[in-house]
Amino acid sequence: MVDAQVVAVLVRRCLAGDAVAWEDIVQLYHRRIYNICYRFAGSADDAQDLTQEVFIRMYRTLASYEADRGAFMTWVTTMTRNLLVDHFRKSKHDRMTDSLDTPISEHEDAMPLGEQIPDKGLPPDARVQTLETKDVVHRSLQKLSPELREAVILRDLQDMDYKEIAAVLKVPEGTVKSRINRGRAELARLLQRTYKQVM
Amino acid sequence: MTGESNNGMQCAEFDALLVDALDENLSGEKLQSFRAHARVCANCGPLFAEVEGGRRWMKSLAQVEAPVNLVHNILVATTGQESTGRTRVPASSFKDAVLGWLRPAFGIVRQPRFAMSFGMAFFSLSMTLSIAGVKLSDLRHVDLRPNAIRREYFETQGRVVKYYENIRFVYEIESRVRDLKRATTPAQPAPEPNKERKNHDNTSGQPEPRQQRNYSQWENQPVLAALPGDSPVAMGTTYRRIV
Repeated sequence: MVDAQVVAVLVRRCLAGDAVAWEDIVQLYHRRIYNICYRFAGSADDAQDLTQEVFIRMYRTLASYEADRGAFMTWVTTMTRNLLVDHFRKSKHDRMTDSLDTPISEHEDAMPLGEQIPDKGLPPDARVQTLETKDVVHRSLQKLSPELREAVILRDLQDMDYKEIAAVLKVPEGTVKSRINRGRAELARLLQRTYKQVM
Repeated sequence: MTGESNNGMQCAEFDALLVDALDENLSGEKLQSFRAHARVCANCGPLFAEVEGGRRWMKSLAQVEAPVNLVHNILVATTGQESTGRTRVPASSFKDAVLGWLRPAFGIVRQPRFAMSFGMAFFSLSMTLSIAGVKLSDLRHVDLRPNAIRREYFETQGRVVKYYENIRFVYEIESRVRDLKRATTPAQPAPEPNKERKNHDNTSGQPEPRQQRNYSQWENQPVLAALPGDSPVAMGTTYRRIV
């Protein structure tokens, strides 16, 4: 975690027009933001576009950041989360009309949804070999509702504490914990079902 | 979720303590009550196992690497500048750069019509060289130094001039011989145009009377010998067969 004072100085320099300071901020946060976007959106291309969009928005609104109101990381994550929610709403129609033949992964050789429907004709060991655990978990994560997904991503992947998550999501800490519990349980159930079908 | 109490803990309380238990923030009597409730409650026990399993799955996901051009793209999109120089997009290899430069040209060349044209041109060139007797293996031994090229040029020019002079000499000799022949042989009568035309105008399809044409007796031929009577035996001149 970057020291709050260092970030505050970088922000001040950036606001004064220092291009190097802005590049430092981009270097410090781009990987983290990209990971949040990738785990939430599910696609590498979308994640790249969204990350870029977050930084464009950040660059325009950097002057509105107030260090005494919260950590810069929380501010950035809130901005990312808001953008992801917008993106989710915009792409809702596309997902509802998603073709069964469209792969949900960005990899061209990923299995389309149609092939993920269990087919009792194939031997189970062949399925186990083709499914990579991480890819399955990543795809199962996309099936969670956005509220549960963002909560588990921020907690389990970004290691944010409950207070920070509550600030980002603008909900009470108890709600955050409840969402994290439900998200983890739902993910486990989804994976259990997937592996039962496979095995 | 039921509200029943097992070992002094409600299910709602168990639910609230779930994350703390997984974060290992529970201790003492509370932890004992929590574990006891998980053992005996039909709902909360499996729920705890599921949440623990889900957390484990999430932790199995590693951080993904951002694309190499992401920082560069962000800087261009925000400041309009590529970089201050400290972070650079990984330079592509020389081979990639050359391929990138040549790709548009190759894109045109790879079109079927261009490929066919180049193929035909190559075929024509190779055929021409083959007919002209040029072998590519001979070209390897060609001396391309400026002095050698100059010498080759003058030698070739000399050969051409010599060949031309020889041809001219031969033609002149032939011309003289022809004049001499013409001077020594008697003048031949010019062929009668009407007769020639007559032969050419024969479209009847009947075979030409060769004997009559080649050996016919013309009125102006001198009669060298004759049998008693009027029919001649031999004539002084014969004419070449006109084909």
